[in-house]
Amino acid sequence: MIAAEAVGMIRQSVLDIVPTPADTDDDFGDRVVPFEIRQWMARLRLLEAVPFAYLAADSELLPRESIRFFYLDRAWTDALIQGAMSVGTVNSSDRAELAKIYEEARDEIDEEERRVRLAGGEDVQQGPAGTVSGFLLRSRAVSGWPGLHVRAYSVELQTRDDEIIPESDPRRLKVLRMERLAPAVLLVLFDGEPAVVHIEEPRQGVQFGVRLKTSGEGSNSFQAWVPGRDANTSEDVDGVEVPVPFRAGSPGVVDLPALVKSFVDKDSQLHVGTELDSAELALQMIRFPYRQVFGDTSVNGQAPELDTVFRPQIGYRLSELVTTFTRAVRR
Amino acid sequence: MTTPTRGQFTLHARAQAPLKAGDYVLAGRQELTGGDVAPFDGHLRVSSPRYVMPPDQILSTFPPANAEGSFEERLPQIVLKRRTLPWDRRPGAGEPDEMPWLALVVIAEGEGQLSGEVPVAECVTPGEVLVGEVDSPTSCYLAVSQTVVNAVFPTKQDVPLLAHVRQVDPSDTELSLGDDDGFLAVVMANRLPQYHRSTGPDDGDRPVRYLACLINLEQQLDVLPQPAPTHDRFVLTADVAVMNLATMAVTTDPDHYVMGGQAAFDTPVLGAIRAVEGGGASALTEGAQLDDADPQRAAAPMSEAAASAAARPLSASATSKTASAADWQAVPKQVAEVAVSASATEVGRLVRDTMKLNFRYDVERIVKDEPTYRFPVLAHWSFTATDAGSFETLMAGLNVGLLGTAPPPTPDPPAGAPPETGSTRPAAELTDTGHVGLPHQTRRGEARRAWYRGPLTPRPAGVDPDHPEVRLPLAHSSDQLRRVTPDGREDLSLAGAFEIGRLLALAQPSIVSAQLRWRKEQFGAARAKAFVQAAMKGMEKFGLSIGKSDQASGLGWLLGRGIVEAAAADPAGVLAPTRPLADGGRRIEVDGDLDEVVARGFGIDLDAVRRTTDGVGLLAALHETAAPVISDDRVPFDDEAAAKLRQGLATTVGRLADQAVGGRRDPGPVGPRPDGHLPDVHPPHGPVRDGDRATDRPEADVQTGPDRLDELISQAVQDVQRRTGERPDGGDDQ
Repeated sequence: MIAAEAVGMIRQSVLDIVPTPADTDDDFGDRVVPFEIRQWMARLRLLEAVPFAYLAADSELLPRESIRFFYLDRAWTDALIQGAMSVGTVNSSDRAELAKIYEEARDEIDEEERRVRLAGGEDVQQGPAGTVSGFLLRSRAVSGWPGLHVRAYSVELQTRDDEIIPESDPRRLKVLRMERLAPAVLLVLFDGEPAVVHIEEPRQGVQFGVRLKTSGEGSNSFQAWVPGRDANTSEDVDGVEVPVPFRAGSPGVVDLPALVKSFVDKDSQLHVGTELDSAELALQMIRFPYRQVFGDTSVNGQAPELDTVFRPQIGYRLSELVTTFTRAVRR
Repeated sequence: MTTPTRGQFTLHARAQAPLKAGDYVLAGRQELTGGDVAPFDGHLRVSSPRYVMPPDQILSTFPPANAEGSFEERLPQIVLKRRTLPWDRRPGAGEPDEMPWLALVVIAEGEGQLSGEVPVAECVTPGEVLVGEVDSPTSCYLAVSQTVVNAVFPTKQDVPLLAHVRQVDPSDTELSLGDDDGFLAVVMANRLPQYHRSTGPDDGDRPVRYLACLINLEQQLDVLPQPAPTHDRFVLTADVAVMNLATMAVTTDPDHYVMGGQAAFDTPVLGAIRAVEGGGASALTEGAQLDDADPQRAAAPMSEAAASAAARPLSASATSKTASAADWQAVPKQVAEVAVSASATEVGRLVRDTMKLNFRYDVERIVKDEPTYRFPVLAHWSFTATDAGSFETLMAGLNVGLLGTAPPPTPDPPAGAPPETGSTRPAAELTDTGHVGLPHQTRRGEARRAWYRGPLTPRPAGVDPDHPEVRLPLAHSSDQLRRVTPDGREDLSLAGAFEIGRLLALAQPSIVSAQLRWRKEQFGAARAKAFVQAAMKGMEKFGLSIGKSDQASGLGWLLGRGIVEAAAADPAGVLAPTRPLADGGRRIEVDGDLDEVVARGFGIDLDAVRRTTDGVGLLAALHETAAPVISDDRVPFDDEAAAKLRQGLATTVGRLADQAVGGRRDPGPVGPRPDGHLPDVHPPHGPVRDGDRATDRPEADVQTGPDRLDELISQAVQDVQRRTGERPDGGDDQ
């Protein structure tokens, strides 16, 4: 065979290349990308090991005591994966062959994303990758309460407050990654765009207490109240706030018989009877873990204007960009 | 009662054992007809912890021991394993059964004293005696003054309201805390631990350390305060602690107040206090002095330290607050260090002792104008209330926005306060699209600014929603992903992503080797397969059929074998037509007698030989007979013969040449036929089979140029003609 024929044959072999399965996976079947590479690339796709300066280039993007929601840029993570895959190509024929199998490899890595963080006992969710969104939380709450619970839902839930639906439920969005990047910075990625996000205090046993508020007079004057509970059903009764009396002259010392009297005064709403014993008092004083809900606060269901949740510092507004671009193109 | 399900619990007001703790006499009488039975008087002791709580009875405390956090809205509590514990004893002679004998009190730093281990007789206020069972020879006590009792301690009506029983599912590990039967006793405190809030411009928020003690109220219920007037709010304009023994501690150096230098009661002895702390800490490592049996000796280190500290300049009270603010963190750290470094048998005692630091002021010596009381302490732990903010306040105070939202502007400082010095960093360049302007040094060394946006964007990006399947095309180097924005700057987001992805992959040798292995198998295998398939096309002419499943590595071997087999099957087509090993000779006509044939062939007269043989013998006769030899000059060699010779030569040579090169199938016999004629010229028939020369050979192309044999023949003709000089004719047979 002469040289021209050999070259033609090589070119043809490159053009005819068909991705062959490299291994067979339990969950997904035949895969082109081997398991080790696929797992590592899926983690890279979820921004593991990416330095924080690449995520938030300026510290002003994440000020103290703030939470910032975002979408994940698929083109950026695609570039990340392409960079990682360029390690395995040496010459131009390798690159041509990688270009042939790249689409399939990328789709497999997208699917593998969901398997990086698997809750025990849940099925692996399959399907093409969609939008990924998430938030960065920088607050003392992350360092003080390391076991935060984060849940995201795709619809406004109508269930009871204490009901927790599993992640495989379609109403709930899977958490793809939840990690503390620093003692006070938490990064969470969701598989989709959430309508409601819950951040909940981790439970530390049963706690008793009151709710403090500043009273009008003076700077360091405090009042306390307790949300009333129905003694028969132990459910909160809306709108009933029982004031907590204190011992005069003692900062923070609760006057318990007077507190009992305050509860008895609200017997008509709380059904506590004419007196409380220690168990009933304890029932009223139990405080449950706090849950912060992020969602649509508008009343009529319309999405808020972007300007209310995103205020850039300087204006390179999109409208300006459009004009400049059109001018540049026309020139 | 039904067991609660997982995650639920039931609350009960109390759990009373049928018998309270104490000594009983069991009297038994039996009446028997027909005899007397001696009465039985047995002594029974029902025991229960009185001075010391066994460590396995304490399941959990809130706030956790040595914790620092914001607890200003929570009541401290302790959870005990045995459900009847708070009701095991009767605290006073006439008290009802439901009155518990335990109470949890929370005192701040400087409000009271927690002693070392002393004999139990000294653990109650002098003058009181607790009769009955003594479960431990030594115990601690809490010494407080009347002010503190009135301000902080629960009243007699509070005590039954603060203890209850919780019933949980024993298998619910989170709620049952390690209990075995699911019933827990809970004792709450009545005080909300506050931190010190700033009261003015020079006084900031300060954390406060608290000690929670579970005390034994036996025989001292009437010491508890009477119901006081209530208030609907509490005010924190002063120190949180009701009294501050630190500021009340007296220096025992008499010179100071004898000479009128400083009044006895308002000298802050922070130095002495610190020396006590320091002395306490160093005594800790020795492990000896804290267990003093004598409260007098407990005061001795303080007086010595006070004497030495008096020589130091005493710090002004204005700085005492800030100094103690720096000190507050020291004790929790010491507790943590002791917990980690102490040996397993000593660690409980040493940790509790370390928690007592700052609660060691000798109340009875400092407070002279009001009575002090002692209560035995069964369990104690300390914690710190800070201004860290509760989870709720932190989460409610978050600034919410999409990534790229500028931070909220800092509020103006209140009038009169010095202006806050902001940071000197220039504000970030943030655009609508989430891009940030960053300084960029190009490869040529120019310093420019470029736009960069990380993977976190405020708007959905990267995928066109109308065409979600169109993604970023494959790039092979980061330079391919640089973009230029209309204002002339470069957008390096994707290029940066490519580079960092590449560097992260290179930083993991396992990934690099896995990729190279994958490249070899995925790309190299396909390439080899394509080569094999192309090479197979050339094999079919040999009749080789190699299946597609054959490995590329055996290709050479297969080829060789195929070639050999094909060649063996068709040697004439592959190599050359074979030549018979031996040339057939000319046929000899042998008819008649052999003797006559030989004689005639040689030209010998047979009769003459026979006659001579009779006389001489055959050999001699043959020897004498001369066979006729034709001499050179009698050869009838004329042109005609020469021409015939030439022709015969040419045809034979041509045939030989054809057979050697042309591949003729039917060689035919070589040599003249028996009838004397030379064989005819057989032109090679059929096309010559050969891959290269597929043309027919032209017929009768046997005449080539004259060569050496032709010359010899013409030379011979000329020689004969020259020698005889006459026309050659037949030769003489003799």
